[in-house]
Amino acid sequence: MKSRRITIGITGTIIFGAILFALNLFVGSVMVPAEDILKVLLHPAEDTTLSVIIFNYRIPQILTAVLAGPALAVAGLLMQTLFRNPLADPSMLGISSGAGLGVGIVILLTGAVSDTAVSAFGWWSTVGVSLAAFTGAVLVLFVMLAFSSRIKNMTTLIIIGLMIAYLASSVTDILKFFSLKEDIHAFVIWGMGSFSGVGASKMPFFALSVVLGLAATVFLSKNLNILLLGEMYAENLGVNIKRNSIAVILVSGYLTAIVTAYCGPIAFIGLAMPHIARFLFKTSDHRLLIPTTMLIGMDMALFCNLIARMPGFDGNLPVNAITALIGAPVVIAVIMKSKK
Amino acid sequence: MDILKTTSLSIGYNNSAIVSDINVSLGEGDIVALIGPNGAGKSTLFKTFSAHIKPIAGRIELSGKDLLTYSPKELAKQLGIVLTERPDDMFLKVFDVVASGRYPYTGMFGALDEKDGQAIQSSLELVGISRLKDRFFNTLSDGEKQKVMIAKAIAQNTPVVMLDEPTAFLDYPSKIELFSLLERLAKEQKKAVLFSSHDLELLLRFTDCLWMIAKDMPFVSGKSSDLLKNGAVQQYFRLNDRDNQRLSEALAQ
Repeated sequence: MKSRRITIGITGTIIFGAILFALNLFVGSVMVPAEDILKVLLHPAEDTTLSVIIFNYRIPQILTAVLAGPALAVAGLLMQTLFRNPLADPSMLGISSGAGLGVGIVILLTGAVSDTAVSAFGWWSTVGVSLAAFTGAVLVLFVMLAFSSRIKNMTTLIIIGLMIAYLASSVTDILKFFSLKEDIHAFVIWGMGSFSGVGASKMPFFALSVVLGLAATVFLSKNLNILLLGEMYAENLGVNIKRNSIAVILVSGYLTAIVTAYCGPIAFIGLAMPHIARFLFKTSDHRLLIPTTMLIGMDMALFCNLIARMPGFDGNLPVNAITALIGAPVVIAVIMKSKK
Repeated sequence: MDILKTTSLSIGYNNSAIVSDINVSLGEGDIVALIGPNGAGKSTLFKTFSAHIKPIAGRIELSGKDLLTYSPKELAKQLGIVLTERPDDMFLKVFDVVASGRYPYTGMFGALDEKDGQAIQSSLELVGISRLKDRFFNTLSDGEKQKVMIAKAIAQNTPVVMLDEPTAFLDYPSKIELFSLLERLAKEQKKAVLFSSHDLELLLRFTDCLWMIAKDMPFVSGKSSDLLKNGAVQQYFRLNDRDNQRLSEALAQ
């Protein structure tokens, strides 16, 4: 009975993912007949506008969603178990805010030094923004790691993470106040989140970085399972609490940093997807929860990408609006259910 | 033979001692109750024994080795604890909780082998909760949850088991059941059982030895009957003559 539920669930999420993958390929802000897309897919050599749309835009965007969804979802799962808080998510470490601060600094500096908007630098501006976001995220990550190596109490750690997030975003707001109008626009766009930032050229690097982080989660599952009993029990069973929280924060923070650098801060996938996995599979075993959370995260990211690029939205609908639209009701349902 | 032995042990936080000069020992099959008012240092002593905090002075020997020289994994095979706090994850199964007792024995991914399976099975049976093993932990009663946590400690297969106020939140029949379970752990499984409790009348019936802590008083250990006779129990619990008479009557029944 139990194993049947698991088989059906996993098969279902994979099939759903495959359907979404195909829909993402065939549906986009530019309406293209399906047979034309098939033709381009079968004869990729042709250098037409359509093949540019497919190979330079749609496919990299789909791959980005396929990688970013699982990364964010599993990063949220790690945080929720480490802090034993169902509402924890990667942003609680202040990592998204750190990324935002990095972007804010770059945008302000370019404006102040050259008196031109960052967007005027074309390709360099997107690389610069990703790099700045990653640097900011990693810096905050190191600060959090430094704290976690000194503090055993998870509640203390979560409060420090939240405070760092507030600090980073308030500094960002101050920077924004002094920025050029065009740059604030660039910042707002980055903040909306999008899976189109990676593109074909940066895809191999992005894919490798994310896959490495995802693979690392496998080694955390045993300790995460024991953490469910509470820190005192886990410690008594031989878990090195500080070393374990450093490892968990490192993996979760790294995944969040990579994704946020390229896609902007994407909310709710990390918060809501682990709950869907828990309720779908009725388990707390991380050996099952980690892969299933990744699969559900992938489906969710593909779905959000599909909605965001529906014909008529002109490709500009922010991914964050969609994730929240679906994520928020899920969180409410979880709270109602756990309060019963 | 002594499994746990302290020599001039002082315990406390941030270098200020709450209790000093503790010289006690626990042997195979011993069942000892740690009693005293709240805030006297019972939890601090437990935390020191489980190496969560360091002793301020003195020495703790566990199975012939200094407690501080144990690695976390080695220590996990020596001393199992049962706390008042409970896991609260929605989808945690009884089996998973008991199986977590096998953590110090499993490999990198926590896969359970046949020996682990047997250890889990026999702990469930010993405590009498085999029928609960597929239930979600959260749906159990307080008494059942307590039994699951004890089964976890048994699966951990340690010579010492420490329980922090195991009878708190339990109704009277469950308390008696729990005490006889602890007695069985000591007598049949040959474990050294140390627990804290406020159920004076019950613990005097079920234990042979008491450790007593109270604020500004020396740490006392001895046979329950002796400590009751020489008035130490009454003194540490601040019982007046009437309470004392009631206690004697209850125990005589």
